[in-house]
Amino acid sequence: MDDYSESVRDVSQATGRSPADLEAIIEARTHELKEALDQKTALLHEVDHRVKNNLQLISSLLLLQNRRVQDPALKASLKGMLGRVNAIATVHRRLFQSEDVERFDVSAFIRDMVADLMGSAARDDIRIELDLERVEIPASKAAPFALVVNELLTNALRHGFPEGRGGRIFIGVRRDEGNFRIEIADDGVGFDKDIKPSGFGLTIVQLLCQQLKAKSETTDAEPGVQIVVLLPVNGAH
Amino acid sequence: MSGRALDVLIVEDEMLLAIELEHLVEEVGCHSLGCAMSSDEAVDLAQKLHPDLALVDVHLSDGPTGVDVARKISQDCGGVALFMTANVKRLPDDFAGACGVIGKPYSEHGVKTALAYLTHCLTEGHVPGPVPVGLTLAPAYATRWGLDDLMPRTA
Repeated sequence: MDDYSESVRDVSQATGRSPADLEAIIEARTHELKEALDQKTALLHEVDHRVKNNLQLISSLLLLQNRRVQDPALKASLKGMLGRVNAIATVHRRLFQSEDVERFDVSAFIRDMVADLMGSAARDDIRIELDLERVEIPASKAAPFALVVNELLTNALRHGFPEGRGGRIFIGVRRDEGNFRIEIADDGVGFDKDIKPSGFGLTIVQLLCQQLKAKSETTDAEPGVQIVVLLPVNGAH
Repeated sequence: MSGRALDVLIVEDEMLLAIELEHLVEEVGCHSLGCAMSSDEAVDLAQKLHPDLALVDVHLSDGPTGVDVARKISQDCGGVALFMTANVKRLPDDFAGACGVIGKPYSEHGVKTALAYLTHCLTEGHVPGPVPVGLTLAPAYATRWGLDDLMPRTA
């Protein structure tokens, strides 16, 4: 006799109700719970659908306005925002593609991001090297993490390799003791020693690393720049 | 890009998405036949204009009718449909006769690459290489266009 039948028999003896009655009650209750679960699942799909559509709407708005403006500085700003929205969009596409909606596959995301960024940059003279271990972070950290990776990658592309200057960008992800170690290194033109780095992109990286309790270290790789982000696997640094 | 210019019909009830898609379609060298927002409008236009390719959202202004639109276009209008939806998992197993799907939210580059890829498939009858990120081919079309022969791929 299995646990379920045994429990029904015990309860039947204790309450004086027949096992058949008890099973009917259990069945009805199970049916109700299943319906409630189905409703919640449908609602989750509906919300997921709306999030994705709204992200698509935001990105279409930015693209449409970008077509209208002439000012190169304004165009660059819009392109920058579009890249950030795309990074978040890639997160949402990935999150609901996988079976587990609570974990986020960092390496799969980076592959998608790289394909999209490199494809739209159309720079055949820049070689990409990936060394990606399978690493998962909580879904709640996925969007800020994606924005950090997006800034670092676009920075490497834009500042490391001015038009006509080719080279290599390395992206590595691995587990390193209590951290996830994300490395983005290029052999581009590197820092301008006289100019203090600034800009909105860098501010985003600093703020989001603070939020993620991550450490980011930038070193002069001579040639180029190496940036390592250490994201704690559990909790804080 | 290879091949002749495809005639493309856009079936999408979000105006801003439809207009932006039209730009992208033209930018990859295809020819946009216009936009339909409802299933009736879509089928009417498809019967009149015979698109080579129809980009079809599942949710249209008259409800989740995009699946029927795709089926009609591929069965009655001699065109090929491609879904563009946020609900990739809810498409029928046979893709309602459509050649594949681009998941929303898509990127500008994702759509352009997919359109260039499909232009090659539709004009040459076989895939130019592995499917680009963001595009999924329906099993029937993957076989028809020889994608299965490329497997297993190394990249």
